[in-house]
Amino acid sequence: MERNTMAYKSKQFLMFAGPALILFCMVIIIPFIYGLFLTFTSWDGVSAEKPFVGFANYVSAFKDAYFWSAIGRTIIYSAFAVVFVNVVAFLLAYMVTSGVKGQNFFRAGFFIPNLIGGIVLGYVWKFVFNRAFVAIGEAISGGTVPSLLSTTGGAMFCLILVSVWQYAGYMMLIYVAGFMSVSDSLKEAAMIDGCTPSQAMRNVTIPLMRTSFTTCIFLSITRCFVVYDVNLSLTKGEPFFSSVMAAMHVYNKAFTYKDYGTGQAEALILFIVCAIIGITQVYVSKKGEVEA
Amino acid sequence: MASLSLKHIEKIYENGYHAVHDFNLEVEDKEFIIFVGPSGCGKSTTLRMIAGLEDISEGEFLIDGVKMNDVEPKDRDIAMVFQSYALYPHMTVRDNMGFALKLRNVPKEEIDKKVDEVAKILDLEKLLDRKPKALSGGQRQRVAMGRAIVRNPKVFLMDEPLSNLDAKLRVQMRTEIAKLHERLGTTIIYVTHDQTEAMTLGTRIVVMKDGIVQQINTPEHLYNKPCNLFVAGFIGSPQMNFLDAVVEVKGNDAFLHIGDDVLKMPADKAKILKDGGYDGKTVVFGIRPEHFGDGRGQEGKQNTLKCKVEVRELLGAEVFLYGDINGKQCTARVDPEVDLVNGMEATYSVDMRKIQLFDKETEKSLLWAV
Repeated sequence: MERNTMAYKSKQFLMFAGPALILFCMVIIIPFIYGLFLTFTSWDGVSAEKPFVGFANYVSAFKDAYFWSAIGRTIIYSAFAVVFVNVVAFLLAYMVTSGVKGQNFFRAGFFIPNLIGGIVLGYVWKFVFNRAFVAIGEAISGGTVPSLLSTTGGAMFCLILVSVWQYAGYMMLIYVAGFMSVSDSLKEAAMIDGCTPSQAMRNVTIPLMRTSFTTCIFLSITRCFVVYDVNLSLTKGEPFFSSVMAAMHVYNKAFTYKDYGTGQAEALILFIVCAIIGITQVYVSKKGEVEA
Repeated sequence: MASLSLKHIEKIYENGYHAVHDFNLEVEDKEFIIFVGPSGCGKSTTLRMIAGLEDISEGEFLIDGVKMNDVEPKDRDIAMVFQSYALYPHMTVRDNMGFALKLRNVPKEEIDKKVDEVAKILDLEKLLDRKPKALSGGQRQRVAMGRAIVRNPKVFLMDEPLSNLDAKLRVQMRTEIAKLHERLGTTIIYVTHDQTEAMTLGTRIVVMKDGIVQQINTPEHLYNKPCNLFVAGFIGSPQMNFLDAVVEVKGNDAFLHIGDDVLKMPADKAKILKDGGYDGKTVVFGIRPEHFGDGRGQEGKQNTLKCKVEVRELLGAEVFLYGDINGKQCTARVDPEVDLVNGMEATYSVDMRKIQLFDKETEKSLLWAV
């Protein structure tokens, strides 16, 4: 067969990319389009009928004060979690690439939380916050100590803490790759040029790791914006709905309150907010990246 | 500008690997010192110890009489040109060159002035606003040099700075470096595995092998008076020919038997062989390719070696004849007009004043000490 023909190239493309493309369409594209269609219906999630309601669901979503407060809460949670996840991940990566003894052991150890599912992780930490920390607190103070999860600020703090614990190991690996991509000769040149270790880090290492920062910040933003599993198992949105994140609100709207159309519309709005923030961040970060 | 002193320097890594053994060197102000040797001989390690990038296991290193063993690289007042150039990819050429001065809080106007001056010397003026990835290999190399020059350091260290360039550019940059040394009058320590660079650039050469200094001297001295078989073989291209020869001493005369050929030693060399008790022993006879005669019309004459020509290589101004002398591969550098071709029998006259003799066991020269 002629290798330069369009037919040959298409066949070759389909052979390699076809299976993945079909799967991607089946689990992402088609459900997304179908979901988009459902935002224009008043489907309750159960019945066979899907009455067309136009933009009514969007109007209702924009009027839903609980949804917007959940979005606001998610933004606050994401802002703290993204900063702490990346700071902790960067420091861990620095530690495990600085030649410390047993660094491979530490790398594996820090990554393990990422292997545990969010639901399990949430329950484990719930036990820690409700029982272990309370017991320690009571032993020290001698009186009754409330669980951190029982206060509004405390629940948010716990959610951020667990997210940092969960994601930092994964992001650490990306930062490790970033650290290792900066050649030793550049660091040595910086030392000879007169840099102190912190100056070398600030002026040479960090600017050359921008790709890692872009990737990690994007990943952590997108993960935090759609957090659900840890939210469900750790706080269940309590106390007094003070820790209901956007994804949990959308889920409840669609499946608990049987308002699938509005839930789907809110999910789409959440997707757009998340995409705008993520793409803006990648665009801004990419501009400063350099090829080594 | 500075003088350096390396006294009994040793480098032993944590895994026990002994990279440098008892390295001793006094470098005078404005000298151009070359560390040369094969890969893994310890030359770069020694340079890195001077730079402060490697710890010195034992011994003393001094710059201008001040002990530097534990001084940070940034406080040694040295500049280094790396093999990979190590230019900061996120900075422009101007920023790369001025970075060290910026760290020393030199005012911006002064930095710009110095960078402009050096850029002019190195013909980098039009490239100052470019980033390293937009430069060719030769331009990057010049920026790396510029970055070192701007600082006006006491010592320049260069770690195989030309090894990433193509052959033509390498020759060009070699000349540039020689000119720069003359112009700046700086002390330079230069690492290379290329003996041509070593011969053409250095005021003195340090030849190393397996972490041990073999010989330290001027290029001419190393070429004409190598202290051992390694130095003789390493310095010079094509390398020196080595043949096993049996010594025969008759009265005050000495002869070398190489297969059927016999070479009569000059009086001074005959005396060395006689006094050294080499009568009847095998020594290594060394002769450089250019110290063979042209291989024509020498049949039956004294001090000749017969060779079967296997390959003739015309380089334009000269011809290399590769052949077999008494079972050993040998090279002769002759005039292009010599009409010897593959398969012909040549009889080379030997310039007996230029020959080298080595002890077969110790590999040390019988003629010259270190």
